[in-house]
Amino acid sequence: MSKEVVIQIEDARVEMEGRTILSLEHLEVSRGERVAIIGNSGSGKTTLMRMLKGYVPCQKGKVVVMGDVFPIKDTHKMKTHHRHIGMIHQHFDLIGRETVWQNVYHGRLGYVSLLKSMLGICSQRDLQICAQAIHEVHLEDKQRRFARTLSGGEQQRVAIARALAQEPTILLADEPVSSLDPALAEDIMDLLVSVCDAYKLTLIMSLHLPELARKYADRILAMKNGKIMWDGSSDSLSNDRISEIYEFMGTNGVVNGNGTRASRSAFTWPYGWQGQPLPGG
Amino acid sequence: MTPPDWSVWDVLLTSAIETLQTTIAGTFLGALFAYPLGVLAASNWTPIWVHLPIKAFMAFVRSIPLLLLALLFVSAVGLGPFPGVLALAVHSVGVLGRFVAEEIEATDPKPLLALQGTGASSLQIIQHGLIPQVLPQMVAHLAIRFEMNLRDSTILGLVGAGGLGFYVFLYVKQFQWQKSGVLVLAIIALVFAGEFAAWQVRKRLI
Repeated sequence: MSKEVVIQIEDARVEMEGRTILSLEHLEVSRGERVAIIGNSGSGKTTLMRMLKGYVPCQKGKVVVMGDVFPIKDTHKMKTHHRHIGMIHQHFDLIGRETVWQNVYHGRLGYVSLLKSMLGICSQRDLQICAQAIHEVHLEDKQRRFARTLSGGEQQRVAIARALAQEPTILLADEPVSSLDPALAEDIMDLLVSVCDAYKLTLIMSLHLPELARKYADRILAMKNGKIMWDGSSDSLSNDRISEIYEFMGTNGVVNGNGTRASRSAFTWPYGWQGQPLPGG
Repeated sequence: MTPPDWSVWDVLLTSAIETLQTTIAGTFLGALFAYPLGVLAASNWTPIWVHLPIKAFMAFVRSIPLLLLALLFVSAVGLGPFPGVLALAVHSVGVLGRFVAEEIEATDPKPLLALQGTGASSLQIIQHGLIPQVLPQMVAHLAIRFEMNLRDSTILGLVGAGGLGFYVFLYVKQFQWQKSGVLVLAIIALVFAGEFAAWQVRKRLI
């Protein structure tokens, strides 16, 4: 089977208030790929995702996602585009006062007519898809609980189920585990990767930790100042390479030169003195 | 005022029911207009030329004392509970509408954006995203407004807008203190009951 390209970007630029915040020369993602985007805060990871989702307009260049050429003007087409791209967020963004089941059902809203959703009519197929999505994230026993009563990890699982209910082709995950503790983060990442395999989804996630990116993605993009600085398979991203990339990123003081900035981001290992004994150790 | 003269029992019952009816009609008539106006007055949902005039109008309405409103309506539609209903309704529009607007302005936009991202239409986003977020507070505000309107409507009678207050004032003018004392007790009981009801509603919602 030849590789089917789902995302194709040539010379795309996103500008806001006269400033270029995203500038991509060339990017192609094929179906079924697992791509991780790493980089500091403000490097354009989230903007890239929001652009793919259609929230942020790109001013120049060519962007084709699933055959839809940007910018999408027609609202009906935009709705279809939204349905094809599931998205999960750092802070889950569920409706807290609705049940888990209702939140998962929200993923179906793009498919049901307004009248039916007003009257609360669900087709057999919608019910099946929601039940299957809840089954995938192992929340059958909690589907009648209010979303706000669940723990962070459980809420992110609900968000994954909601995205699955959309029957997407591409799943965007914007910092999916940044507000979870490390052990839980691995659980969620395992789940995310396994559902993407099961549903043959293209997964694009932004991650703060390069270790997670290397463990869960087959391809890694490193971004800085709205540009892609490195694009390659995660196997080819050795430790030396990572420190090289971050050294490179740090040339104007983003990581190495500015201690507060580096400690605020989640990169914790010692780039500068790798292989040397710890001070005092 | 003592001892209470319980011969006014009949008057008490009919006027207490009238006060209650005035409150219910006034509050719900007000709410009927306050909710749509409140949505239009939310600055994050409507353009400035829509929400600013509506907010100004509601502030203007709120600034008129209730008794003055009642006097105005008594002279417009005559004595009785009906001007009381209108006065309460207009006042409630000002207060409730503002609560609704502030509640909507305080909602978290990110879950709504997430809903938009599933392909939901604007009305579906309102139904499944906005209403669940604001409904409990809106009902709680309605309960509080009901309780306050009940208290206010007991004195609307002073200007001839019906209810318990009308008879209190009547007996006071005739120096029949024992009778007016009974009616004052009834007002206290009614306000207490209203407060209890509102508290029950709030307790169940929040």
